[in-house]
Amino acid sequence: MELYELNLHILIEGLKAKKFSPAEIFQSCKKRIDQCEENIHAFITRTDDKPQSIENPNGLLAGIPTVLKDNLCTKGIRTTAASKILGNWKPPYNATAWEKLRSAGAVLMGKVNMDEFAMGNTCGNSAFGPTHNPNDISRVPGGSSGGSAAAVSAGYVPFSLGSDTGGSIRQPASFCGVYGFKPTYGMVSRYGLISYGSSLDQIGPFARTVQDLQLIMSIISGHDPMDSSSFRNKDHDFTHSEDVSIKGKRIAVVKEFRDFTLDAPISDAIKRTIKILEDEGAIITEVSLPVVAKYAVACYYALAMSEAHTNLERYDGVRLGYTVKDAAGIKEMFERVRSYGFGAEVKARIIAGTCLTEPSRCEEYYVAATKVRTLIAQEFSRAFGETDFILQPVTPSLPGKIGENDEDALKGYEADLYTLPVNLAGLPGLSFFTGYSGNLPVGLQLIGPRWSDVSMLDTGVILERHLGSPKIANGGVK
Amino acid sequence: MAELTFTPVIGIEIHIRLKSDSKLFCSCSTNTDAPANTNICPVCMGLPGTLPHLNHRIVEQGMLAGFALNCGIRHKSLFFRKSYFYPDLPKGHQVSQCDLPITTSGYIEVHDSEGKLKKIRVHHLHLEEDVGSLHHSASDGRLEGAATSYVDYNRSGTPLAEIVSEPDVSSAKEAVEYVMTLRRRVIYSGASDVELEKGMMRFDANVSMKCSDGRWGKKVEVKNMNSFKALEHAIEFEIKRQKKIMLQGGEVKQETRHWNDAKGITSSSRVKESYRKFIVEPDLPPLYISQEWIDRVASRMPEMPDVRANRYVNDWEIPQEVADVLTDDKNLADYFESCVSSGANPVRAAHWVRTEVLRVLNEKGQKIADFSIKPEVLAGLVKRVDEGKLSTTQGKEVFDYMCANNSGIDDSVKALGITEGGIAGNALNDIIASVIAANPDVLDEIKSGRDKKGKKLKFLQGLVMKETKGQAKPQEVAEAIAEAVK
Ligand SMILES: [Zn+2]
Repeated sequence: MELYELNLHILIEGLKAKKFSPAEIFQSCKKRIDQCEENIHAFITRTDDKPQSIENPNGLLAGIPTVLKDNLCTKGIRTTAASKILGNWKPPYNATAWEKLRSAGAVLMGKVNMDEFAMGNTCGNSAFGPTHNPNDISRVPGGSSGGSAAAVSAGYVPFSLGSDTGGSIRQPASFCGVYGFKPTYGMVSRYGLISYGSSLDQIGPFARTVQDLQLIMSIISGHDPMDSSSFRNKDHDFTHSEDVSIKGKRIAVVKEFRDFTLDAPISDAIKRTIKILEDEGAIITEVSLPVVAKYAVACYYALAMSEAHTNLERYDGVRLGYTVKDAAGIKEMFERVRSYGFGAEVKARIIAGTCLTEPSRCEEYYVAATKVRTLIAQEFSRAFGETDFILQPVTPSLPGKIGENDEDALKGYEADLYTLPVNLAGLPGLSFFTGYSGNLPVGLQLIGPRWSDVSMLDTGVILERHLGSPKIANGGVK
Repeated sequence: MAELTFTPVIGIEIHIRLKSDSKLFCSCSTNTDAPANTNICPVCMGLPGTLPHLNHRIVEQGMLAGFALNCGIRHKSLFFRKSYFYPDLPKGHQVSQCDLPITTSGYIEVHDSEGKLKKIRVHHLHLEEDVGSLHHSASDGRLEGAATSYVDYNRSGTPLAEIVSEPDVSSAKEAVEYVMTLRRRVIYSGASDVELEKGMMRFDANVSMKCSDGRWGKKVEVKNMNSFKALEHAIEFEIKRQKKIMLQGGEVKQETRHWNDAKGITSSSRVKESYRKFIVEPDLPPLYISQEWIDRVASRMPEMPDVRANRYVNDWEIPQEVADVLTDDKNLADYFESCVSSGANPVRAAHWVRTEVLRVLNEKGQKIADFSIKPEVLAGLVKRVDEGKLSTTQGKEVFDYMCANNSGIDDSVKALGITEGGIAGNALNDIIASVIAANPDVLDEIKSGRDKKGKKLKFLQGLVMKETKGQAKPQEVAEAIAEAVK
């Protein structure tokens, strides 16, 4: 077995026992990247040209390689958000989540692909071209954190970070066959995450076991004075234990989703998972989420685009990134920089966001959406009075072929119905592996009330024990 | 046909820089005089991925300024994003409390054209961040047409309070009194130093005209006034301009006009104001202010200038006019009260500060904080004059000497050759003896009885007075000389 195939906690144990060295892990992962990257194209920027110094040789992650979604700022290392508009920008500071990993000794192998500014769910909407699914390179890895999911799935690194605004961690985790966790809003500092929809964005980890997610959460969670939305005064102990139980826990399916069409492997996975939960002593129930089912998608896009268009106002060519030198005036400069710098999907969402918040329509759309959002949050909190967790699909279908959905943007939006209500209500969501359908992995999702992150991951440990852990994908290598 | 009369309807928006060492949403220094782009960080540069975090001490400054305008404080306020593109605005939106401000309404009192007190209602005060500053190579110093423009982000993110009045102002004179009174009260509150020459107070005015024939002119927004004079002249100009249009039967266009201080005119703004839209700033939670916090800050509010002036009049019988002058500047009033608490008679101390101290400050172009004579020292000087140890003239001489030489009272008295309490008795007799000894022929003349009209006696008295530098009482001198020549 190659070192790159080992999961995070195994690597940590091996390093501690001096079975191998950080340099050997680095070389193994680098070799794996060199082997597959031509097929997968997960990277925007590689930083593994030479072994990097380990910030903290005694840290928990000392010598563990990782990759970051390219919307996480890395000091002195190009950060693009997969957009041309950021040009060759090298941030003068580190995102808090990366700073915490670095301080724990993690080593950066590079910055990975995503949909531009996290807008998309295929990882095909990138100025740097699409990333391919390591399980089947003709298919999408999901998005927007497609590069982060693909890198873990292909064995580039044992874990990675992504961000989830409407499913951008959970959906690619499911498509690539890894675990992906979207923590409660406020659990992980957003400082240094290039914003898409600020009130929806949350950073979270990808890994090949739930235990590894727990390990990373124990490092990256916590209050940060630089992020006013990060939580205070709450203690969360992510320590892994096999001695966990879900006896008596209530786990619900959503009534309104019952009649929706799902790909057969996904509905089969739900049945199998329910059986496992029942065998473990959980009580399976049903909750009703009528407002979510009817309005969540519209509400989500109204809010995400409204926030996004103001978040993207700062890209004007004045201070950083792509600019033009020969504009006739400041107005022409702004127009040319933004027209050329942003991709089509980003421009569409900026225009939509501008229209939705325009004074004559603001009440009807943006303000209305904020009210619907409150209703959705209330609906979830009522539901979580009746159940501990909700079990549901991540997506209605398995990953499609690259380029397949490009023409039909709306179909892409609808596919987010299972993931984006979680962001509207600031809930945690775990995308977990259930098995394979042919060579394609099938994932499902667990949703819980705010701050239930620890017990959700404990439940994930039980599910993994029964459903099995994913294999390293072949990465297109015969 | 009756002559048409016009009533100006004016609302004023004021931006005041709040006093704070650090910026509103990051910990950079607020020193805008530093070399360009040295007090900046990723947050106030609006770099991708950065988030604002609210400086709670500035919230307190905002509360103090609100109290100074008789405003209430809201328990919950919000920050919004005010979107527009401009190179000095790093994020492409300004973070501002425009739609749910920290304060409720308040008022400032001014005198109307008949001298009666009138309330100008303050709609609200809200907190917001300032933008950077632009430096253009164009000859007119404006962005349009400049070959090169430079941006300095030192000012970006410095804290501002925007104060919006109701359209209650009816003349340029009222406008000036409104902003002067407001400024004085805000300085008193400690919320800001409002140094005008440093651009810490900027004005916009909304001017429209109501005609006696029932016509209402459209509202014109006049921007770019940075001094009381500019505000006054801009409003006067605009009133005249609009009146003329309406008299000619024309219609005043609703627009934004730019005040050109050098030319003394307003002109239609070349840059069209882009419409602004507000969304809630998702990176900042609502600002919750508990009653306890409000009370704590309110307890720090000092006495306001008008209340203080009334106290001087009522408790110390200081004339209203003097009390107004003393309380105009909080530091001056503090100085005066220190004199009083060091034992000086309030009325006399008031007089000294009003005339002598202010005169020297004016001459030297100094502020009271830099004044070399400490209040307890001035109190000592006032007391000595009061007790007759020094005459009023001597007191002023000593005061001037102290100012000029940075010396204490005793040293100054000595240097000026003043004998405290005057020259009398043996000291006086010694001087007389020496004067007589120096003028034997005069003595002869008197003794021989030839000085029938007493002219020679007067002559000696004059010499003695001169010798004592006026520190002897003329009566005593006359008597002592009469005795000496017997
Ligand atoms: Zn700063």
